[in-house]
This record gives sequence, C-alpha cells and structure tokens, in this order.
Amino acid sequence: MNKGGRKRPPPPSQPSPSNPPKNQALNQEDDFVDEDVFLNETLISEDEESLILRDIEHRQALADRLAKWTRPPLSPDYLGQSRSVLFQQLEMDYVIGESHKELLPNSSGSAAIIRIFGVTKEGHSVCCNVHGFEPYFYISCPPGMRPDDISHFHQILEARMREANRNSNVGKLVRRIELVQKRSIMYYQQSDSHPFLKIVVALPTMVASCRGILDRGIQLDGLGMKTFMTYESNVLFTLRFMIDCNIVGGNWIELLAGKYKKTSKTLTYCQLEFDCLYSELISHTPEGEYSKMAPFRILSFDIECAGRKGHFPEPSHDPVIQIANLVTLQGEDQPLIRNVMTLKSCSPIVGVDVMSFDTEREVLLAWRDFIREADPDVIIGYNICKFDLPYLIERAATLKIVEFPFLGRIRNSRVRVKDTTFSSRQYGTRESKEVMIEGRVQFDLLQVMQRDYKLSSYSLNSVSAHFLSEQKEDVHHSIISDLQNGNPETRRRLAVYCLKDAYLPQRLLDKLMFIYNYVEMARVTGVPISFLLSRGQSIKVLSQLLRKAKQKNLVLPNAKQAGSEQGTFEGATVLEAKAGYYEKPIATLDFASLYPSIMMAYNLCYCTLVTPEDARKLNLPPESVNKTPSGETFVKSDLQKGILPEILEELLAARKRAKADLKEAKDPLEKAVLDGRQLALKISANSVYGFTGATVGQLPCLEISSSVTSYGRQMIEHTKKLVEDKFTTLNGYEHNAEVIYGDTDSVMVQFGISTVEEAMNLGREAAEYISGTFIKPIKLEFEKIYYPYLLISKKRYAGLFWTKPDNFDKMDTKGIETVRRDNCLLVKNLVTDCLHKILIDRDIPGAVQYVKNAISDLLMNRMDLSLLVITKGLTKTGDDYEVKAAHVELAERMRKRDAATAPNVGDRVPYVIIKAAKGAKAYERSEDPIYVLENNIPIDPHYYLENQISKPILRIFEPILKNASKDLLHGSHTRSISISTPSNSGIMKFATKQLTCIGCKALLRKEDHTLCSHCKGREAELYCKTVAQVSELEMLFGRLWTQCQECQGSLHQDVLCTSRDCPIFYRRKKAQKDMAEAKTQLDRWSF
Amino acid sequence: MGMEKEKNLHRLQCSYASLDESFEISKESYRGQQYSHIYYARLNLMRSLLYSLVSNWKPFSPVCPVLELEEGKECVIIGTLYKHMKLKPRVLDEYSKEKSTIPLVKPHNFIHSDDYLILEDEKGRVKLGGNFISPSVYATGVVVALHGKESGAGDFLVLDVLEAGLPPQIDRPLKSREDKYVVFLSGLSIGRSNSNPLQFQLLIDHITGHLGDEMEQSIASQIVHVIIAGNSVEIPPGLLNGQNLASKDLSRIAEPIKELDIMLNQIAAGLPLDIMPGPNDPSNFALPQQPLHRCLFPGSSAYNTFRSCTNPHCFELDNVRFLGTAGQNVDDLDKYSEAKDKLEFMERTLRWRHLAPTAPNTLGCYPYTDKDPFLIDICPHVYFVGNQNKYETRIIKGSEGQLVRLICVPKFNETGVAVVLNLKDLECHALSFGTQLSS
Repeated sequence: MNKGGRKRPPPPSQPSPSNPPKNQALNQEDDFVDEDVFLNETLISEDEESLILRDIEHRQALADRLAKWTRPPLSPDYLGQSRSVLFQQLEMDYVIGESHKELLPNSSGSAAIIRIFGVTKEGHSVCCNVHGFEPYFYISCPPGMRPDDISHFHQILEARMREANRNSNVGKLVRRIELVQKRSIMYYQQSDSHPFLKIVVALPTMVASCRGILDRGIQLDGLGMKTFMTYESNVLFTLRFMIDCNIVGGNWIELLAGKYKKTSKTLTYCQLEFDCLYSELISHTPEGEYSKMAPFRILSFDIECAGRKGHFPEPSHDPVIQIANLVTLQGEDQPLIRNVMTLKSCSPIVGVDVMSFDTEREVLLAWRDFIREADPDVIIGYNICKFDLPYLIERAATLKIVEFPFLGRIRNSRVRVKDTTFSSRQYGTRESKEVMIEGRVQFDLLQVMQRDYKLSSYSLNSVSAHFLSEQKEDVHHSIISDLQNGNPETRRRLAVYCLKDAYLPQRLLDKLMFIYNYVEMARVTGVPISFLLSRGQSIKVLSQLLRKAKQKNLVLPNAKQAGSEQGTFEGATVLEAKAGYYEKPIATLDFASLYPSIMMAYNLCYCTLVTPEDARKLNLPPESVNKTPSGETFVKSDLQKGILPEILEELLAARKRAKADLKEAKDPLEKAVLDGRQLALKISANSVYGFTGATVGQLPCLEISSSVTSYGRQMIEHTKKLVEDKFTTLNGYEHNAEVIYGDTDSVMVQFGISTVEEAMNLGREAAEYISGTFIKPIKLEFEKIYYPYLLISKKRYAGLFWTKPDNFDKMDTKGIETVRRDNCLLVKNLVTDCLHKILIDRDIPGAVQYVKNAISDLLMNRMDLSLLVITKGLTKTGDDYEVKAAHVELAERMRKRDAATAPNVGDRVPYVIIKAAKGAKAYERSEDPIYVLENNIPIDPHYYLENQISKPILRIFEPILKNASKDLLHGSHTRSISISTPSNSGIMKFATKQLTCIGCKALLRKEDHTLCSHCKGREAELYCKTVAQVSELEMLFGRLWTQCQECQGSLHQDVLCTSRDCPIFYRRKKAQKDMAEAKTQLDRWSF
Repeated sequence: MGMEKEKNLHRLQCSYASLDESFEISKESYRGQQYSHIYYARLNLMRSLLYSLVSNWKPFSPVCPVLELEEGKECVIIGTLYKHMKLKPRVLDEYSKEKSTIPLVKPHNFIHSDDYLILEDEKGRVKLGGNFISPSVYATGVVVALHGKESGAGDFLVLDVLEAGLPPQIDRPLKSREDKYVVFLSGLSIGRSNSNPLQFQLLIDHITGHLGDEMEQSIASQIVHVIIAGNSVEIPPGLLNGQNLASKDLSRIAEPIKELDIMLNQIAAGLPLDIMPGPNDPSNFALPQQPLHRCLFPGSSAYNTFRSCTNPHCFELDNVRFLGTAGQNVDDLDKYSEAKDKLEFMERTLRWRHLAPTAPNTLGCYPYTDKDPFLIDICPHVYFVGNQNKYETRIIKGSEGQLVRLICVPKFNETGVAVVLNLKDLECHALSFGTQLSS
C-alpha cells in the first residue's frame, strides 16, 4: 500500500532548512554510538522455539509450496569444507557472545563477535562469525610515563570501569594498554611521532564509557587529577573492524579451506555458517573479477490494509489483507518469484502465485515463512521502513502472534523495533521507526528518493510518473475495504494493485541503478551499505580519513566539542548577475571540481595547518608555506603532504580511471558498475570539503573550509578580471568581453560575437589561458554555451545549452523551474511553455500572446480545472496548526460533509481557490476541486492571476519587455470576465429556471425551445457552434477515459482510480460532467 | 437534347428501408457511465458466437477463462484483444516534461516492432506470445478465440486463432432485373480553400440528367439513389475553437453549409439522397455520428427524397443490404494496424464482425451501457467506407457463400471521382469528373 503522500504519517516531507535549531540537529548528526546486543538475550527460550516448530509442522502444505523458492543446494566441496569460501559481504553487525574456545584458547568470557552476511557467486547465503577482534582507542601518553606507570594506570582505569559497569560479567574490562608511537592528525608537527596509549577494552560499548571516564578526568599518583584527550574513540566497532581488516562495503571476502570452522550449533538460516579468526580474512579490493556483484536476492514487497472509513489505517484496528512479494536476483531482469498472500480467497493472477488464507494470522505467518525460505539479502519497497514493516510487526503484536517477528537470519531472534530520529544538516530531521532485521539490508526507496532527488512530490505515483513515465492507479483507501469485502474477483483486483506497488520499487531500483550506485559508494568510501541510508554524509569521509590516517600512522582526535565554539565563515561568492535577455552566445567557464582542486593545490589539510603560535615558534621559511586569503597558514607539500589532498587525488584519479574504463566497457553490467563508481567518487570528493566545515561534525576544521571558500572567491574574481582585461578590442579581439554572471564555480562570459562556434573557440582559449595562471590541479574548463540566455537574477536563469556548434543539447533552467509544490500546474506549464517559445522558437511576441491567451482563458472560466489545483500535505489536525491554513480548513469542512472520504493526517489535500464574499480570508476560500466541479462553484481568477501567475511570469518577462506587468497582466485581454453561477448557493434554491435563447441569451417564450425569434435566421451557424463544442468534448471524453482504462490495465472493468496526483484526474471528471451538460444543450435542438 | 424525338425518360424507382435505428442515440445521455460496458456487451455476444464455433474448430480443447489457465495445459481462451503500443500517443503525454520537444515519430501510423497483444476477459488478462499471432494485424477491441497454452513466464503461447468470420447473409434478390445504379460520393469538402464548385456541379448535372446526350440521360435515369458518405463541408479552422467570435465570423461558419444546401437541393429535387455526417461535418464527434440537423438544410430538407442519416449508415435498396461509414473506422485501423490496402481492413472488420473495433479505445464513441451497436450480425451485400485516398473495390466471399462488395469511396474534392454501383449485379465503376481546361 504505497500511496506515498496519502497514507504516510506526518512526514516532514521536505528536509527542513538547516539553520533553525542548528545545535540540536547537528548534535544528533552522526552521533555514532555502538549498541551491544547480547546474543543470549535476543534468542528465545527452547520452549518457545519448540512451540514455533510445532506450528511449522502444521503448516507443512504451505512449506512445500514455499520450498521451491529456496536457494540452490550446496555442492559437496562446500559441505566437506574442502574449498575456500569466497563471498560478497552485504551486511555486518556484531553480537556479544562467549569467546570461541578453539579459536581463542587464551581468552574467556564475553566478547564481541562480528557477523558478516553475504552471498557467494553461486548464490549461497553466508554468515561468517569473526572472532578475536577487540575494540580499542588511543590516548596520548602523558610525558614521562614509564611501563610501570602504564600498568598502574591500567589498574586505576580498570577499577573506575568496574564502577561504571557493575553488572558486567566480563572478566577484565580493560584488556590491555599498549604503548605505541603515533601522531595526531591535527596541525603541522615537525617530529614524526609521539607516544600514545592504545587502550583495548572488552566490549564495544566500553569504549564510550571508558572515554567518558578519561574525559572527566582520572586521579593519578604523582600527576593528580588528569583528563585525557581520546583519539578515535568515536569509531563504530564494525567500522573499526573493516578499517583494520581493509574491508570496504560490499567487497568480496575469502576464507581459505582449513581457516574456517563450521559452527557447532546452527544459529542462522544461512547455508554456510562458520567461525574464523579476524586475521584469516582475505579482503579483496573491488577491482577486476572482484568488482562484480554476487547474485543476491532482492525482495520488493508491499502490504494492503483495510482501513476503516475516515481513518488512516492503524495497526491496532485495521487488518493486513494482502502482501505482495517480488524477488529478483541481482543482475537479472525478470523476477524469480512473484506472489501475493491474501486474506480470504482471491481469483488467480496469471504468472503470480496467489496464496489465500482464511485468517490474518495465517497471512502473517505465511509471510514470515516466505521470508525465511526465499531468504532475501536486500529488502526494498516504498516507505517500508516507516510504514509496512512497523505495521506488520505492530499488527502481529496486536493479534498476539508472538511467533511472527522472526524475519531476520538469526534463528529464533526476534526483530527489534526502535524509534529513531535521523537528523542531518543536509537531509533535515526525520523521525522514523527502525525495524532491525538481522542479516538483511533494508533499502527503502522513499528514503533514497528523498535523499537523492529534489521532487515536488514523493508519492510512489508521482515518482514513478517522473522516472518511469508510468501513472500508477490509485485506489482510495475507502474503496480498499469495499474491494476486500466483495468477492474473489474484487480481491484479485486489489491484489493486482498490490503487486504493482511491489513491482514499481524494483523498476525504480533498476532504472536508477541504485544497487550499483550504492554498492559502489560503499566500496569507494569503505562503509557498510546500510550506513549509506541510515547515516549522514560525514561517516563516509570519516571512514576514508581513518583509513588513510592508519596508513600514515596518524590518529584522529575525538574533537567533538571543539566545533560549537567556532564561528561561521563566509560562504561561496556569487558575482552580481547582470539580468537581461542575451541574444548572443554566452560562454560558461567552469572550474572542474573547484573545492577539491583548491584543497589539493594549496595542500589544505588537518596535518598541514600551522597554528598561529606554531607559526611564530617554528619559524618556517616563507617559501614553504601558503598564507590563505582568509589568513590561515598551511605548509606546502614539500614539508608535509596533507592527507586530505592525498585522499582527493586518489578519488579523482580513480574517477578518471573509472571513466576511461567506462568508455572501454562493453558489458552493460560492467558499465553500470563503473558508472556507479565514477559517480560515487565524484560525490565523495565533493563531500570532503563539507566534512571540514560541519561545525558540529566529527572533525570540523573551519580553518580549512574557510580557506577553501576564500580561495574560491579569489579565483572567481581573478577569472573575471583576466577575461575582461584580455578579451578587449585593444588586444585585437572583435569585441570587449563582459562577465555577466558568476556563481560558486562558474563564470559566464559574453564575448560579443554572434555565432556559437566562435564563442566556443574563445571560450576554450580563455579557459586555457586562465588555467595557466592557476596552481595545478585547479583548472578552468570551457564546457558549454548558453544561447540565447535569459538571466533573471542570481541562481535564476534559463538558456539553450550547446556543447557542439551545430545543435543545442537541451533547454537548461535553474531556479525558475517552478517545481514548488504549492504552485498549481498552470504556473509550471506557463513558465515552461513561455521559455520554450522564447528560447527555442525565439518568438517573444508568440510567448506574450500565449500568456495573454492563458490569462484570458482563466478569466473567461475556460481553464482546465486540474491546472488550478494546489496541493498541500496535511501533517497534523486543524487544532495543532497555529496559523489557519487553506488546506487544513478545507479538510475540516470536508470532514463535516463526509467523514469517509475526507483527507486524513498524512494525506495530501488538493484544493482550488474559489470566489467568495468580499473580504473573506484566503484560507476560507479553499475548496475541494471535485466539489467545485460538481456544483459549478466559480473559481477566483484574480487569486490565480495575482498570487500564482504574476510573479513567475513577470520574472521571466521583465528582462525582455519594458512594461511587462502592464502588457501582460492588465491588457485588453483581461477585460472580459465570465463567472459561472453556482448551483448550490442559497439564492439558487428560490430561483426558477427559464430557458434562454442559445444565440443571444434572451429569455424565451413558452413555445420556443432553442432560439428567440430574433435569432431564428442564424439557426445554422448557432447549431454549428453548439455541435462543435459537443464534438470537442466527446473527443476529450473518449481520450481521457480510455487512458484511464489503459492505466488500470483492464477494458471490462470500471475505472476506480482516484489518484489526485494524476494530471488528468480532474480533467476526466470534468469531461464527464461537461459532456452531460453539452448533450442536454444539444438535445434542445431536436424539436 | 434531341428536340424531335422527344421521349420521356422516367427515372427508375427502388424500395428503401432505413436500418439506422440502432445508431440513433437521441434518447441516450451521459450519466457517468464508462466504457467498460460496451466492451462487456461486445465480449458477451461475441463469446457465445465463438463458443458455438469452437466445438468444430478444436473439439478436444476445453474453453477456459483467462484466470484458470494452467501452465502447459492446452486450451482455448476467448476474450478481447488489447494491443500495447509503444508509440501510441497518450493524453498523459501532454503533461510530461518534454512535451514540446518530442515530436510524433510517424503521425500517420503508430506501429512499432515492440508492440504486443494481450487477451482479456471480464476477469483477467494474459500477454500473448509466440509468432502465430501478429500484433500488426490486430487492433485493440477485437474479440477472438485463441488456442494455445500458458508458458512458464505467464504468457499464453498462441498456437491458433479463430475469428468469428463473415456474419450470415440474407439472400440477395434474383438478378433477373433491370440495371439500377447507386452513386456514392464522399469528401465534397465545400468551403475548403481548394474546393472546385464546378466539379460537383458537373456531377449533379450528370445524375440529374442535365448533361450529355440521350444515351447518357437514359443511363442517368437509371440512377436510383445517391449516398453522400461524409465530409461534405469544411468549416474554416479557427472559427470553432471556443473563443468568442464576432458576428461577422459567426456567419462565415454557415457559408459552406448554405452552399451545400443549394447543391443538395438540386439532387433531392430529382432523386433520393442520403447524407451521412463525417468527421469534418457539423455533427458530433463520437461514433455513431448523428444525422446532420435539418436546420442546416432549410432548402433540401423540404423534399421527402432528402434523408439525413447516421454514420455508420445501414439501409436496404430493393432488399440489397448496404452498410457504410464515413471512413473513420478504417482510417483508425490504418493508424494502429497494418494491411496491404484499405479493402483488407474492411474485410477484417467483417470477419471480426465488428464495424469499428478500435472504438472506444482510439476512436471516439458513445459510452453505451447495454449494447454494442457496431457488431455486425447480418452480413451486408455492399459495404462502403467514405473519404479514402483512392477508389478501390473488390468482392469477397464468405465461407457460407456470402458475397460482399467492398468499396472505398474516394474524396471527391481531391479526386473528382464518384463511385457507381449496379444494384442488379453489384458491379461497380468509377465516375470521374475533370475540369481542367487543357485537353
């Protein structure tokens, strides 16, 4: 049941802007905390287990049916453990269990066991328990500490830890303290290394508690109370493990024969389950053969719930009636399994396994069994994390089906549901439920869409319309119950929708290459795949930084608090836009990866930054340092090569390589991988700068980020100056060049010449000339020409985009594509069509006429209503809103009219603004479009003219026309106005209807039906007019209704769809009504 | 005209019976009904018909609803075809982002090699596979029986196709009578900028006996009926786009119609005339198009020989059964399927027993609730479509001895050709009028 906007509980659908409660939001960002899960606590008791097993026996018939979907059987060499195991790991977690006696004979008690889940290339599922890896962190060794002191320190720390962890049954809490030689990444230091203490603790959570103790201070003999700065104490345990074993997300891991042991007791449903030591893992770099993907199983599913009338489905009341599933092997285009589980009988669906059950309990348990048998590695769907999965779990709890929530790969381990708040500067704050399904990656397409794309609506319908150009039939939830309560056929119909909703996420996944892009991102940045969706940007940079630092023997301080004190810094620069309509080619000079190049060129890094005191103290030769425009000092690479520049160099070199390979690649799968990789590399390179600037992030360093932006500003200014100095008539060029606009990393130049080809040549010349004046690798590139170019203001422009001299590539717009949701479609259409006319057809009078016609149509009440519909999400009930809002008021009014179909919280409310008494507030004038259609309620054209159309249109036309406002909005075309008479207003009840002449609207005498005596002579022409209207409506009626038949995929059944997101929904309704009226009108002629 | 041998030529007569009743929708209204009913009615009738044929066709295969298909089991399924077409223009495309940048690939035909067929009954649909059934031949809305089996992927592998075939025909009256001619005309397009009034006047003079010598006049006297198959006028575009018009423009609308009335007046004074509306005429758009309103023809409608008819039009002349349209049914098939000529499309519609299978899918039609008026239950003797590019004709034979004369009536305005049919033997010839002055 993925109705996106409709059923979603209040989503803060647009990421809220970052500024407001900055500290709160950012404190939560990437608050990396390990959570120890004790194996014994998650497993249920033997009694319960046998109960469940008995239950399974009862369900043997079903089991047989499910059995055909199991994974391929193991070959003998796997069974005999005579071969090495090679698998692609997808998910990783850890549990606390007993230390492995055989593998680790010297230790005992609880220990963290890392579980790696993955798939072999034959498609076998693997669970690998890794033993022996211990959590640790560093502190800098106080000067003068000798080995004796260390053991003393160890004792004190152990004692303090005991106090904090009283209940722990672990033998030794602080396992060891080792003296190591390391260096902090912060600031340029002349000496190579300093002594550090590596503190190894028993369990991952103890890192945090130990850090707390050291942060607060510890009483040391002879040294007094002393606090310690900790290093790398905020690294998640699994990430620590991956870094130390050189494992990156989604890569291939190999264990040679004999280096692993089959587990003594099978705890998981995986085919291959074994124990090994962490030192035995062979991690393969994702290159060549190892860049491929294993055939892992992707489950896409969707549920339908029968809601009560007027309520959003709630798990405490409303049953789950259908679950549709689609399992696809990674890399195949056809699904392996298609099935649907229904409550009550359901007619068969061709090509789909329909499983019907009499009770909800059976449906739920069948699904649980299905998950176990089909054993998906990745679970996808639309809004599954916030809706479908929690709903299933809560529903099972309501029905007291204790044996339901066993969906993970660990036998007898119940899934856990957590309320989480995910906040990040980039994505805003989102509340969600997290359902932990052990061993399976959850990939919610809604989350991905919200992360990766800026769309006006995130309903599955509009997302699939956007990316797949497919409209999805939408059935109102009040109809769902009716269909469920009907017969097997109506339930089948419901099942077909449900299947489509399960199918669309898979289509999106394929179409947008999410698997490739996300796996490659995990490989490039080195984090587990599940981190990419559940965590922010900074962990990706942190992971790379930690890996690089480890190579260089550097350690990262845990400098969280440092951030809040630092101020903000000046952002990127924008050269003032010289607004206008440019009919000559405009060349665009772009800095390729500007911020990364600046960091590389000037060697900006944590470890090259010189503090002001050091600058004085160290007395560095001026030729070895760079003073940045913002006043910071960084050493040049001959003294110390920065590791951020090094990471960036590697990322960019890898991207270059990936792009080159992409050109060579023939196999589409290989291409997909490479394209995903180059994209991931690009994104990663660009996020490094942001990492240093995230004031409350993991390792903020505003010295770096402010230096980067200051260099950026300097470069834009520099470019502008050079261009305007060099390309002048004085220097022998035909015209004086003019920089008309410049943004973060690009500069727009008008060279004054009139052909695209010449502009391209000059652009290239300029780019080359100016690049020569920069330090490598900063490079100015000539990429494209805009011609013609409509520059409205900063960050708002439109133009035709040329990369080759003969043909333009596309129309490019920034900032004026009115994708804002609270605009009606009319605005969007008008803007797009006008731009089209202005830029492509070069027909400014045509564009003006077009706008005038549209305005006239609006005033004459000829406008298609669907173009006027404004939609807003209802996020809470009326009382909770502080300010009265149009859509909330409307929802209240609709509830009074008919509670069953009124919008609920979470729905999107479409409305139009109607004409009302003078002085009525805007929020009182909102009305349901359907109601408006049915009752002929006049819309308020002036509201649309003034509040919707005027601004965007004037914005476009002001640079072009002198009197835009006067011409467009107040011309003669605005003189005639037609307002329809409402059929339900109070006064109409007392009015008698009298026929008027079709020709002149004069009242008719009783004996006439059609025309007055005066118009009789014009019969023919008036009839032609009437019949032409009828004919036009008939054409529209036919096209609209057959389209909806097509969309619903059935000719013999009535269209039920009520998708208000669909562009033709209101038009279809209107055509139906208009048609009836026009026919009556036409019938008046048949006398 | 010979003055001395003055001999009275009498125009021959023939009996006329209109069978248009089923195409009249004056009583019907739009009450929110949808198009599913018409498909439902069509499928129901056609299924009982096909069902009776299946026992001879595949005696050993069970007839099975689509939902009860089992993998690998051979059976017969009956249902409505739906053709999935990649290039088919959709009303939704008007709203897509790149609406103005993608032109129609081929505006006259939307066939693509990726098209595929789906068979649907009231409850379910199944995609058709195999090479036996070619998507380019069929169109959405045709009801057929298919023999085959479900393949593993959920497709139905078609092994054989059964169409309903030509409907039964009422015997044509014996041939032993005199020659009587019927004239077919279409696409006069009066009012179009290039229309040539002289051409039409010559035609009128010919059929009313004002042209040629006695020999010709005696032939003219044997013309017993004139059929005008649509598109008689063309109202200047831009006058009827819904914008308000000045009264001067309003009167321009009626000018072509006035001229038509004058011309028809001349015919109607001499012999019976049926006029059908076409897509360009001032009639409704959806099929069946209703008769052109009498108020448009103040002159001709005074004659009882003048009949304004529906499109499609069905009637009998001396018990010879005629069925025809103004051409929309065949033109639409031409956009969404392929054939070697227009006659083949006509033949198919007869075999499918449906005059306009693509209605309502791509051809506008009234949303009937209880019937499908386009089903052909009795085979006509003459089947004509108007407004074609060229004159074509052929006789086809049915399996039960049915004989049907197929006629494509060309656009008169462009070709100057009218078609003449002899009622006696259903022989057919073209009557061509040229007005070029040079030789």
